Amino acid sequence: MKKMLLLTIPIFFFYFNPTSVFAADDQCYTCHSALEDKESKLFAGDIHFKKGISCSGCHGGDKSSEDNEVAMSKAKGFIGVPKGDKITEVCAKCHASEKMMKSFGSKLPINQYDNLINSAHGKSSTVSGTRIVQCTTCHTAHGIKSVKDPLSPVYATNIPKTCSKCHGDAAYMRNYNPSLAIDQYTKYLTSVHGMLNSKGDPKPAQCASCHGSHDIKPVKDIKSKVYPVNLPYTCSNCHSNKEYMAQYKIPTDQFEKYARSVHGKALLEKNDPGAPACNSCHGNHGAAPPGVESISQVCGTCHALNAELFSGSPHKAAFEKKGYPECETCHSNHEIVTATNKLLGVGKDAVCIRCHEDKSSNGYKSASMMRSLIDSLDNTKQSAIVLINEAEQKGMDVTEAKFKLRDINQVKLETRTQVHSFDPKKFKDIVDKGLVISADASADANHAIHEYYFRRVGLCVSFFLISLLVFGLYLYLRKIEKK
Amino acid sequence: MVKKYFTKTYEWLDERLDLTSLSHFIEKKYVPVHAHSIWYYFGGVSLFFFLIQVLTGILLLFYYKGSADLAFESIQFIMSKVEFGWLIRSIHAWAANLFILSVFIHMFSVFFEKSYRKPRELTWVTGVFLFFMTLAFGFSGYLLPWNKLAFFATKVGTDIAGNIPIVGNIMKGFLRGGDDVTGATLSRFFGFHVALFPGIFTILLVIHLIMVQRQGMSEPMETEGTPETEKKSMPFFPNFMLRDLLLWLIVLNVLAILAVFFPADLGEKADPFSSAPAGIKPEWYFLFMFQTLKYIPAKIFIMDGELLGILLFGFAGLLWVLVPFWDTQSSKGLRNRKINYIGLFAVGFIIVLTILGWVS
Amino acid sequence: MSENLQSRRSFITSILTLGAAGLSASIIYPIIKYLTPPKQREAEVSNVSAGKIKDMENDSFKIVRFGNKPVILIKTDKGDFKALSAQCTHLDCTVQYKKSEGVIWCACHNGKYDLNGRNISGPPPRPLDPYMVQIKGEEVFISKKA
Repeated sequence: MKKMLLLTIPIFFFYFNPTSVFAADDQCYTCHSALEDKESKLFAGDIHFKKGISCSGCHGGDKSSEDNEVAMSKAKGFIGVPKGDKITEVCAKCHASEKMMKSFGSKLPINQYDNLINSAHGKSSTVSGTRIVQCTTCHTAHGIKSVKDPLSPVYATNIPKTCSKCHGDAAYMRNYNPSLAIDQYTKYLTSVHGMLNSKGDPKPAQCASCHGSHDIKPVKDIKSKVYPVNLPYTCSNCHSNKEYMAQYKIPTDQFEKYARSVHGKALLEKNDPGAPACNSCHGNHGAAPPGVESISQVCGTCHALNAELFSGSPHKAAFEKKGYPECETCHSNHEIVTATNKLLGVGKDAVCIRCHEDKSSNGYKSASMMRSLIDSLDNTKQSAIVLINEAEQKGMDVTEAKFKLRDINQVKLETRTQVHSFDPKKFKDIVDKGLVISADASADANHAIHEYYFRRVGLCVSFFLISLLVFGLYLYLRKIEKK
Repeated sequence: MVKKYFTKTYEWLDERLDLTSLSHFIEKKYVPVHAHSIWYYFGGVSLFFFLIQVLTGILLLFYYKGSADLAFESIQFIMSKVEFGWLIRSIHAWAANLFILSVFIHMFSVFFEKSYRKPRELTWVTGVFLFFMTLAFGFSGYLLPWNKLAFFATKVGTDIAGNIPIVGNIMKGFLRGGDDVTGATLSRFFGFHVALFPGIFTILLVIHLIMVQRQGMSEPMETEGTPETEKKSMPFFPNFMLRDLLLWLIVLNVLAILAVFFPADLGEKADPFSSAPAGIKPEWYFLFMFQTLKYIPAKIFIMDGELLGILLFGFAGLLWVLVPFWDTQSSKGLRNRKINYIGLFAVGFIIVLTILGWVS
Repeated sequence: MSENLQSRRSFITSILTLGAAGLSASIIYPIIKYLTPPKQREAEVSNVSAGKIKDMENDSFKIVRFGNKPVILIKTDKGDFKALSAQCTHLDCTVQYKKSEGVIWCACHNGKYDLNGRNISGPPPRPLDPYMVQIKGEEVFISKKA
């Protein structure tokens, strides 16, 4: 109650604004600045001081009293130097109160406290028994500047250093999460974001841009802005914003393209956590587009066999010489769509013909041959399916033939992978394997269809034989009854 | 040449079993010939179906496995991997239905002819019980493939049985081998279908046939007055028997055609945790009772509608079994139009409700 | 006249004989074929034969059909058998045994499982389902784990 009364005084004087008037009424500051202690020196530049809030605003006590026993008495609400979680509670008393913030004409949000206690930083440390992070950890205590002030430790260009104070300290982090990396800052400095940031540009992403400020969640938390399923949206907040990115002269359609790609659909629509997000190929802290020669390594972390085959193929050296970005050349980078047969060969939509135009060249011939081989595999698979369906329609059992279709699909996958060796002979070997299985499945289906007709033929035979006997009996009966 | 061996074998057996007196007995048997003689064949046709069921049933036993996790697959195996398995199973399934149909026809033709009258009362009683057994065969056999339709049909059927007053719950528990339809139910039904019911059926059948043999064929009441000299008849052996055989062969052909063009299907394996397929209904031979129960309102005065339905059917069945005893007129040789009306009503009722049940 | 009768009689007899023979054949032939044990001995649904022990080399694998699902059977370098579902838990490709690394590997996206089926690397989100292996005499049998 007393604190509230104390706080109304600065509000009353707010409309007069001359700092000296405040100074005169702010005995806390008057005394302590006379003592020339560190805190009051800092406090002079503090935004709260500029807004007319005295030391008592946080520490409590009576700022109008010259008598320090009165000013700093518990009776007047003095709390001394708040420690641990008390610090954050003190800040939240105003910063989480809509009324309070409105009374200062502030448009700042009021959810920081709630966000913090639910964040990774808001957890209690088992070492000290208090929250891992308090407001003052990042904002400092006495020289708090506005976030927009380049001198503030939480201004965009200063944030990385502020965060790495803890997150780059191995001994410190060991207390909380020994397996968490501590090289994020180092990596960040090598990234495009980091390099621009250290040159003083506040626009590129820094720690808070992706991880949040008060609401930082662990990466594995599905609500985290950097959880794989959420990450592409986080990146595209800047990277899809044309106005924001205008000065950097890079495209802003990556997210759009990615969302259309196989990877994007898998991650964003099917929520497959195994699918790559932006950071899987670009890195997270050391974010940079992969270098031209290293693209196949990057793609190869999942598409290992394709990368291996490519690296052993004649294309590797040829692409390097021409400066072509390996996988991206044929498959594009963000808009990677399902590779169909159309991609291969010398047709209109094929990629091979972009370089291998000469009809007499090896490349042209190989591409053409591989395409016709893969098409033939598709055709035999189709005809097997048609036969199997026919047999099934006729009511025959085709489970084994259907199982073989699964094997054909495996072979198809193998052929698609083997394309990357660009070796028609190896390719043909695999296709031949698939053709054998298709032939097998077709044979099974044909056998079932044959059985269907066999039954009908058998019926005709038995029907005829039985009818013959019926006829004979009829004749015999007629004979013996003629008498 | 073949005839010589045949005669030799006959003489060898005759020395030991006195076949001659048997053949004399058979030679003396005559079957009346009149406008309604055609109905005489249906008893034999029913017998033929029964023999087919026994034969195909035994063959199926060689490959069928009666436990919940193997039943379905074993029938799939019979249909796809065993040579002619599809034929044996399809014949068994079709013959089951035709068997029941044939028994219906046989029973009703006997009813309309009033052949149940003195001295053939017991033949009728054993016959009606044979009919009940046929239905029981159908009900128990239907579950054996352990597919979704059968599972729920059994559930519904045993639920209805459970509504019988006093003994209902015990019966339900006995039939199901527990509270629910499970693998235990399948085991029981398998035991019923291949052991208990064939045993009971055979005993009843033997009694039924012996009585028919002893008493000969019943003649229509209209012809009873005709003098002996004007009555037409044919010897049982070989004429009637050969005619019977002819008909049986035609039936065999029909079974073969049905088996090839409409092979028995299997459906999906039963899953106790899934819900009943929509529009579940029993096999056609139970449909009329099922549909009737559906039409009875849930409550009639203070009585539960379903219970009333069950009691009505039970009562009707009892009257049906005992008709030789309460139709005293026919026993005296007097025409009883009422029986015809009752019979027509019964046939009409069954047909109409079966159709209603089928299309709904 | 009597020759006519005779020929009629023998005609009828021949039809009857032929018919009777035909009927017997139509009945006996299918029954005999039915009773002859089929190639696959019984409905293999809970138990599948995977061949003889000595037909597999140590440190090798093969894919076996169990019902309509593929199962990977691995004979370790010590001669033990392991059976697991061969359907990768990521996107359903058929896995294989990578001798050089001693792991089960999925060629589609480089997913890896240890020999107990646990997913240890790559996109697969779940382990592979285990199957039971039983040795009866010289043959290996695979059955579903209860």
